[in-house]
Amino acid sequence: MEFLLGALLPYTACAVFISGTVMKIAGWLKKPVPFHITLFPAPRNTMGKVAALAGEFFFCGRIFREDKALWLRVWLFHLSLGLVIAGHVVGIYCLRDQFTLVGVSPGTSRFMSKLLGGLSGGVMVLSLYALLIGRIVNPEVRKLSVAEDFFNLLLLMALAVSGIMMYLPGFQADLPAVRAYMSDLIMFRSAALPDSPMFVSHFLLANILLLYFPFSRLLHAAGSIVNRAMLMEAPPASPTAEGAAPRSRFAARRVHAALHAAAQGPVDRGGQT
Amino acid sequence: MNLPYHPAKKEDLHHLGIEQVDESSMKERTLDLLDEFRKFARSFSVMLETCTRCGACAKACHSYLGTDDFNNLPAARAGLLRSIFARYFTWSGRLFRGFAGAREFDADTLDTWASYFYQCTVCRRCAVYCPCGIDTGEIVLAGRNILLRMGIAPSFLVTIGRNELQTGNNSGILKPAIIDSCSFLEDELRDETGIDIRIPVDKPHTEVLFLPSSSELFTNVETLLGAAKVFHILGVDWTLSSVMLEAANYGLHFDVEILKKHDRRMRTAAAAVGARHVILGECGHGWRAARMYAEGANGPVPFHLEHVLDYVAKRLPELNLTRLPLRATLHDSCNYGRGTGLLDSPRQIVKACVEEFVEMSPNRERNFCCGGGSGLLMDEMHDLRMQFGKMKARQIQALQPLDYVAAPCASCKAQLPLVLKHYGMGATVCGGVMDLVGKALVMEEMKAP
Repeated sequence: MEFLLGALLPYTACAVFISGTVMKIAGWLKKPVPFHITLFPAPRNTMGKVAALAGEFFFCGRIFREDKALWLRVWLFHLSLGLVIAGHVVGIYCLRDQFTLVGVSPGTSRFMSKLLGGLSGGVMVLSLYALLIGRIVNPEVRKLSVAEDFFNLLLLMALAVSGIMMYLPGFQADLPAVRAYMSDLIMFRSAALPDSPMFVSHFLLANILLLYFPFSRLLHAAGSIVNRAMLMEAPPASPTAEGAAPRSRFAARRVHAALHAAAQGPVDRGGQT
Repeated sequence: MNLPYHPAKKEDLHHLGIEQVDESSMKERTLDLLDEFRKFARSFSVMLETCTRCGACAKACHSYLGTDDFNNLPAARAGLLRSIFARYFTWSGRLFRGFAGAREFDADTLDTWASYFYQCTVCRRCAVYCPCGIDTGEIVLAGRNILLRMGIAPSFLVTIGRNELQTGNNSGILKPAIIDSCSFLEDELRDETGIDIRIPVDKPHTEVLFLPSSSELFTNVETLLGAAKVFHILGVDWTLSSVMLEAANYGLHFDVEILKKHDRRMRTAAAAVGARHVILGECGHGWRAARMYAEGANGPVPFHLEHVLDYVAKRLPELNLTRLPLRATLHDSCNYGRGTGLLDSPRQIVKACVEEFVEMSPNRERNFCCGGGSGLLMDEMHDLRMQFGKMKARQIQALQPLDYVAAPCASCKAQLPLVLKHYGMGATVCGGVMDLVGKALVMEEMKAP
């Protein structure tokens, strides 16, 4: 059991998460983009594109402009998710001492870490709840929704709640033990699962999420960027620059056929002296 | 099948090289074609796999807002195909079926596709609003291509596609009629201005090949006359071509093969008159097809492609224009605004031609579609199209009293007058931008310096 839950599951989950996501994205990128599907107005240079992508990725700019209520739910959720992920990495690695790097005492750092972590977790649960309610209350969105959409929200909510539960007396996990376990896992050393039922539940849910991620709509995180990149492609210039690579397989065939026809045609000696 | 349009008959489809698929092999064939299209274009599979069903597109779609039909909500429209794709081409759909929104292919599948993919005008407004960057237009166009290959398409589009393949223009006009019409229009111009303004056809060794919308020979004549006057005043060495008297490319709407062939015809037509500069007239999707699709369709474009409005805006200071006593607005054709970024030139021109220019709200890339785009102009869809035009009517209503709606696209020009009449704004005239230029232009023969 210990081996199953503490070693086999996390390694399988990570392998599936990484290979599944990479395969999915690579599968998309391998497919050709035969035509320019630029959506105007499109940013003209790389800086503009990066800024536009960042605005969408970190601020959900499009929803902000159109629907402030939806934006608040969506943005707060993604923001808190980002903070929680960052907090896990930094907080576990530094054992909540990370803020001593900016000059505060270890006690204050631990307090700040707990406050920020708890707050982010709380916002995450509340925003997930708001997203769930929004899905149910809005008749259009309810009709669009499928079981998966509710499952995704509930899974994330269970994950966040089990994480917050570890703040409560009686459910607390031993942070150094968690850190030791995680570092053993990462270094491929045999590791003992910390002896905390709440940690084990949280850890189990996290693994389910990793296993499930590449097959779910949660992959919109990557798909959005792939889509946006196509919509921001620089429009073609005409006449087409010499030596530009053919855009599509059929365009390449046309080019090849034209070259071939020219080679076979009568030799033009007009320019020779 | 209960379709909003007359489906094309077997023999019409033959002209496009399409065989109808029997009932028994429909599922198998559809899945084959889905597989073909997911390999054909990245947009198709990514956009099918990223929708989170957040509903942000509901408020963006004129078709949904006008008809109140749930399947016209962009995410639901794409969902008709997305659910089938999920069932047969994604891990989660194969495994979890309905849980992941997947649905079995059944007897209704193609009916709903055929109905709702032709209730979208591919205006791409939803793409502006989608936080995941999904352009439902891409899914609709792929869906229409798949339907055509199964032998399902509106008769209206198939007829026009056939005309484009056979005659090089939508109306199926042959060379003698083209020459006749042009000499008739030259007479009109002479009567109006007292000047000999030529509308050359197939003039060899010309600098500029002009591709108007073929409808400008009969219904939107003022647009072509405006262009002829401007070219005359500016001393442009231009010609029309009887090989391709058309800016439109209906292949974009439903068949990649027609798109490619018609684009090749543009190259042949330019080569036949020796033109290094091809100017397209007022046709929204045609300009998108030429500017954005030509390179992908047939490789490097050997000439300079330009829109007539960009060309005229560039040379505006050389034109002597009087301001017409009109209160006018500009309707941004979706294929100009969102499709090709042609936003400033038409404004600049209209402003120079009228006394009062007013902007619609919303405008530019957020403008609502007229409701007649992407080949939905068939008579039998009139009532539905009036519903599609509801948001547009509301936008124009807010600007009343209004004399003129400048709509530099042949589809908009066919749809908007009907919308105006339907919503009780019959006094407002709709026409092109070049029409205004033609009327505002002070015609004096260029004097030698």
